[in-house]
Amino acid sequence: MSEHHEKKDRSRPPQSQGWIAEYVDEHGLLEAARKVREAGYTKTDAFTPYPVHGIDHALGIRPTVLPFIVLVGGFTGLGTALLMQYWMNAVDYPYLISGKPLGSWPAFIPVTFELTVLFSAITTFLGSILLNRLPKYSNPVFTSPRFDRATDDRFFLYVDSSDRYFNKNSVQNLLSSTNPESLEEVMEDASSTVIPRAVWLSVLLLLVIASIPMAIILKMRNSNSPSPRWHVFFDMDFQPKKKPQQISTLFADGRAMRSPVLGTVARGQWEGNDAFYLGYDPAKLAAHAGRDRSRFVGASLAAAMQDPVGAPALGQPPTPDEEKSPESAIPAGSNVPAKSETSDEMDESSNAAEKPSDEPSPGDEATDGKVMVEETQTANDAASPSSGEPANPSQDGAALASAVPTLPFVTNIPMEIDAQVMELGKKKFEIYCSVCHGVGGDGDGLVARRAEEIAQSYWLPPTSLHADAVRSQPVGQVFYTISNGKGKMAGYGAVLTPKERWAVVLYVKALQRSRNASESDVPLEMQSKLSQSK
Amino acid sequence: MIQIKNDESIRIPESWRSKAIPMIVVGIIAVGISFFLFRLVSDKDVMKLVSHSYLANLMFCMTIAIGAMFFVLVQYVVRSGWSATVRRLAEIISSVIPWLAMLFIPILVMLVLGRKDLYEWNASREELHGLAAEKTGYLNWWFFSLRSVIYLSIWSVIVTWVHRMSRRQDETGEVEITLKIQKYSGPMIVLFALSVSFAAFDWVMSLQADWYSTIFGVYMFAGGMVAFFATMMLLFDLLQRCGKLRDAVNVEHFHDMSKIMFGFNMFWAYCGFSQFMLYWYADIPEETSWFRTRIENGWDTLSYVLIAVHFIIPFLGLMSRHVRRNRVGVVFWCAWLLVAHWMDMVFMVMPNTHVPASGLLFIAHLIGTIGMVSIFAAFLILRASDVPLVAHRDPRLREALTYSNPIL
Repeated sequence: MSEHHEKKDRSRPPQSQGWIAEYVDEHGLLEAARKVREAGYTKTDAFTPYPVHGIDHALGIRPTVLPFIVLVGGFTGLGTALLMQYWMNAVDYPYLISGKPLGSWPAFIPVTFELTVLFSAITTFLGSILLNRLPKYSNPVFTSPRFDRATDDRFFLYVDSSDRYFNKNSVQNLLSSTNPESLEEVMEDASSTVIPRAVWLSVLLLLVIASIPMAIILKMRNSNSPSPRWHVFFDMDFQPKKKPQQISTLFADGRAMRSPVLGTVARGQWEGNDAFYLGYDPAKLAAHAGRDRSRFVGASLAAAMQDPVGAPALGQPPTPDEEKSPESAIPAGSNVPAKSETSDEMDESSNAAEKPSDEPSPGDEATDGKVMVEETQTANDAASPSSGEPANPSQDGAALASAVPTLPFVTNIPMEIDAQVMELGKKKFEIYCSVCHGVGGDGDGLVARRAEEIAQSYWLPPTSLHADAVRSQPVGQVFYTISNGKGKMAGYGAVLTPKERWAVVLYVKALQRSRNASESDVPLEMQSKLSQSK
Repeated sequence: MIQIKNDESIRIPESWRSKAIPMIVVGIIAVGISFFLFRLVSDKDVMKLVSHSYLANLMFCMTIAIGAMFFVLVQYVVRSGWSATVRRLAEIISSVIPWLAMLFIPILVMLVLGRKDLYEWNASREELHGLAAEKTGYLNWWFFSLRSVIYLSIWSVIVTWVHRMSRRQDETGEVEITLKIQKYSGPMIVLFALSVSFAAFDWVMSLQADWYSTIFGVYMFAGGMVAFFATMMLLFDLLQRCGKLRDAVNVEHFHDMSKIMFGFNMFWAYCGFSQFMLYWYADIPEETSWFRTRIENGWDTLSYVLIAVHFIIPFLGLMSRHVRRNRVGVVFWCAWLLVAHWMDMVFMVMPNTHVPASGLLFIAHLIGTIGMVSIFAAFLILRASDVPLVAHRDPRLREALTYSNPIL
């Protein structure tokens, strides 16, 4: 009954909408429904407290098309899920997971199953609402007070007056012949269809209240405030712990920061002060005289702290009078590039170390400054450690890094070496180093290969351990690099003990030698095997 | 309503009874022919092939009977009304279990004789390696035999008791009998679930002793349920063609049984995929070995075809209610799913022979299946003789005869 209708005929008496018969059990209802259908009525409906088997057939309700709509919905979900996952995993963001193909169908199936069910369920829900023309706010049968028991213990059969064959008397006769508990004419709902103002106001009020949290969030996200933020979720913002420089009530001296207990050393802190722990000879470093002495001491301290991040920071920044302008710092014909890429510098400096270094020429002074101290004692006075660097104050980290190769690295491993150490080195190398440098040390580890495959622009390929620049490094320098890191490589001082690091050095040296070995390098008892395999 | 106790329409055809003994003879001959054909497949591995094929065929029949037992128990647990007319046939199928247990004896004899053709773990701890060696405390001939006897005893007791009680109701019509079975069927289902799961672990999963999967028993059970419903509906169709049970079993019952079969077929795929995906994802060598066995030696074709034949095609085919209410459609898909279950059993057992899949192997195995199924069918006839095919004094019979599925 539309509002339009209501307004138009407000004055007229309520019209008859149809007839409703009441039954005490489902058998009476089914029997009556069958009779009504056989009499040719189609605009009928049944109301029962629970689903009654066979009522659809008795009323002559035709099968619905909903299953086919749901089928389409289900297949849409299936296709959506498969396409979505394939696109996400293999096209938009290809990422290898445990070596499986990018488009791994077995992995897609759970989500496909879920989306198929979800789409089917949503289609069923919306489809049944649409096909039943819901929501329906009122029905004329509600005007009968007896009808309330339809949700309790009574069964109702309704014949609508808009039916093609509807005739008041014949319907009444037909229904009374089915022995109903009661039989009434359903009258039009005479009450107003205008929604009461109170309902409107409450809905409005609810909407306003519901929008408050959203409004607050929007305001918070789009404005600045000097006061601390609201902690709706505390996360881990407040923890029962002390931060540096805070006051502690636990200790008598009131200090939250504690110094180490006397006679102890914290993990990753100073371990020792000889070549075994440092990779270079601290005595030689201390004995060395010259302008760079203060720098060496600084680098030595940094190394002693065993802190790869802190190491450059502790170095002395070059004084302005020692620095040259970038133009004059790079002499013509010098092979030192004017960039601050640390790893490149390292390689360059190692190249320089290969040259005969007892004849420094003025043109080579930029590189000579980086030649190892123990080999080029004479060059030290002529070279400024930072002369090869651009004089950019913001890059002083890079400038300081040039202090590294000037250390007096040891050339012999300062510990006993046997086959067990080699085994240890191999094991540790394959665990920690091979992921980037590759099992053979060619710089083709899995990480490197993956990075190359996805062509990440910021990726710096790992150095091949068989490059001349690396091969020529003394063992102390390799140890130093393993301990403190280099360029993008992190230091492994914290995860490998000094003995393990030396073992890795030994293994790296063995790897390098394996590419340049002669037959005489093979032990006698193995030589026969070698000749057999040839 | 069927009230008459001696009504011929609720008994198996008279002509069937005389066929039981010849069918057993034919079955034994067919199994013998299949053994002979396996000799042609591979002379070296003939014992392996014969024992595996025998186990696969026995499992084919056993899972059907186990499914029938579960169906009967579940009808009592949920106090189902619709199934009162079809339950008796399931009772008869399940009551074959004690007889099928006899067919298990050759397998136990092989174990006692120390043969390793079927179960590779039937060796001393020193001869085995890896996980199989660690399992010798559980997988050894005497404990395995003891467990097998326990499983078969549990099932035999359950099916015999339920069947006897139900038969007594035929005589007396006591409602108390139904209530009593209802009372005990819950605990019996718990026993059933545990014993079926462990039986699947022992009989089929231990073929590959170093592999394990906790869902394996459920997978076997789900496949067995599908095969049971297919068998039951085919039997009803056959009986009705012989003029029996025409009033007792109607389209509504076929519709309902098809629905459950469809559901269990999905469940089978669900279990199979759950099992596969975890192993596939983790990709750990000792866990993937079982699947590796099934993609080697030419068994991969069967493995992949099984997905379509057992799940995808029947899933789409059985989805519509119009098919489920159409007798030709139902019979077609029941036959189809029985073939799929046969393939599933081949997939479970035969690749463990490590003999390459070949046409002759399949033919030999199929002849063995025909033999085993013929023995199974003979058992069924013998068990069904003199038993009404409908529990005609069941208190829920009226509901079963009059209910109907809602029109969607």
